Amino acid sequence: MEQAGLVKPETLDGLIKILHKIFENDIINVEEVQNIMEAYASKPQEWMKFAKFDQYRYTRNLVDEGNGKFNLMILCWGEGHGSSIHDHTDSHCFLKLLQGQLKETLFEWPDRKAHGDMVQKSQRILKETNSIGLHRVENVSHTECAVSLHLYSPPFSHCQTFDQRTGHRNTVRMTFWSKFGERTPFWSQLL
Amino acid sequence: MEVLHTNNEGNQVLNLSRLHLFELNLDQIEDGQRNRVQRLYLTYNSIAFFPSSVCLLPNLEYLDISNNAISVLSDDITRLTNLKTFVAKNNNLDETSFPKFFGSMQNLQTLNFSGNRFREIPVQFLKLSRLQSLSLGGNRLKGIPAEIEHLTRLEMLYLGGNMISSIPPELANLGQLRCLVLCDNCIQSVPPQLSRLHSLLSLSLHNNLLKFLPREILSLVHLQELSLRGNPLVVRFVKDMTYNPPSLLELAGRTIKSRNVLYLPSDLPASLSHYLDTASKCPNPKCAGVYFDSCVRHIKFVDFCGKFRLPLMDYLCSPECTSPCGCNPQSHGESEGEGDVPATRLQRVLLGSPLSCNRFGEAGLGLLT
Repeated sequence: MEQAGLVKPETLDGLIKILHKIFENDIINVEEVQNIMEAYASKPQEWMKFAKFDQYRYTRNLVDEGNGKFNLMILCWGEGHGSSIHDHTDSHCFLKLLQGQLKETLFEWPDRKAHGDMVQKSQRILKETNSIGLHRVENVSHTECAVSLHLYSPPFSHCQTFDQRTGHRNTVRMTFWSKFGERTPFWSQLL
Repeated sequence: MEVLHTNNEGNQVLNLSRLHLFELNLDQIEDGQRNRVQRLYLTYNSIAFFPSSVCLLPNLEYLDISNNAISVLSDDITRLTNLKTFVAKNNNLDETSFPKFFGSMQNLQTLNFSGNRFREIPVQFLKLSRLQSLSLGGNRLKGIPAEIEHLTRLEMLYLGGNMISSIPPELANLGQLRCLVLCDNCIQSVPPQLSRLHSLLSLSLHNNLLKFLPREILSLVHLQELSLRGNPLVVRFVKDMTYNPPSLLELAGRTIKSRNVLYLPSDLPASLSHYLDTASKCPNPKCAGVYFDSCVRHIKFVDFCGKFRLPLMDYLCSPECTSPCGCNPQSHGESEGEGDVPATRLQRVLLGSPLSCNRFGEAGLGLLT
């Protein structure tokens, strides 16, 4: 099936250019974005400058701001690093592994009245995914790091996190460890 | 890229990874060049026997032989006196694989032997007094030796993915430890002494067998990351039924202490005088009582920066000793009464500083998972 502008992205820059073109439209074809992300063959020398690891937790490194329509970022997961259970506000999330493996656990939305453990929907090892629900993402390896490419549309700066044992939720603000390959220290995030 | 090249940091690197090698042949590299090699990569090959020719690189500082099939390291590895970093992930190494004098390699700062077959931490490792980073993730460790305290410069200890069932209190003597990873083990309790790890920034305890944490954990004021998911943490108050009634000795001791009965050392046998000195004050601030050996475990739920309730364990002098609002925090959002740790103190402990909730990206996401 012919899709407008569906060219295999040879490089990360090429991928970004194609994404900009796709997101020029108001209506986005989710499958098209998914296919484009999948088609990009990971070349470490292209994304290494964005892949800044932290010893204590995973990092979010902004690659492109997508003219305000999307955020493209690279997440770096050390051994054992994982996220809490979170949503993506109302944005679509596309994820692609560039290196290593990640485990994704999907959860049912907790009933506000009920207490007790959150219900797991499914668990799998990821290569790519796109989701719009609640999930936890973890690097369960004790020997290898993982690097993942994420696209969120529209961009969002807050999300909710959930306690797995009770379903209690909490809103948090998101920040970036680096932007466009430059480490963004704490004080610059206050502005 | 040339196999022998200079990297961005000005180091001489010999990269022999992914070449289907069974051994290391340095014939092509002349003596002068061998002396300059600082980093050697031999990863993802088919090497079954540690290549002794590695020891022909006298100035080697960094060695990575990960993803091979090596089960033993030859004695002459100790000739690499300048070696600072040794990485050998995903091989067949265990605690018997190391030369007797491996502990003499005093320049070693970083060891990473994750993904091997260690059942215990080799004694030789515990002699490496300058070691800063030790990773034995994904092995078969059953425990941590008390002698781990000898590694006084240790900043990072990764022991995730083993079969560890308890933590020795001596671990608390690692005053420079910043990152402690104990996830994916079988740990049932955390010794309260760990609160002495004043440099600790990150503590990973997810996927263990913890029902609660010691109250002392609140003293870890610099802690920025704490993972507890996948533990059977108690969510509701559980009445502890295993209270052993106090002995007559204890009852007498309690009476003397709580009534401030005066006595001189000459009034009592030394053993009783000593016994009276071991009285512990009941942590319930509303209670002036003391206890000696007989106490009841009390689980208190502490609100964790608004996110969820963390069960902390403390000892009380008797089952009747409870905080005024009762011990039943069934309803959410309720505070525990004035005797509790103030919320601001708790926030400071867990978040580092009031603003650090924003500092660490998805604050709750990373901070407590």
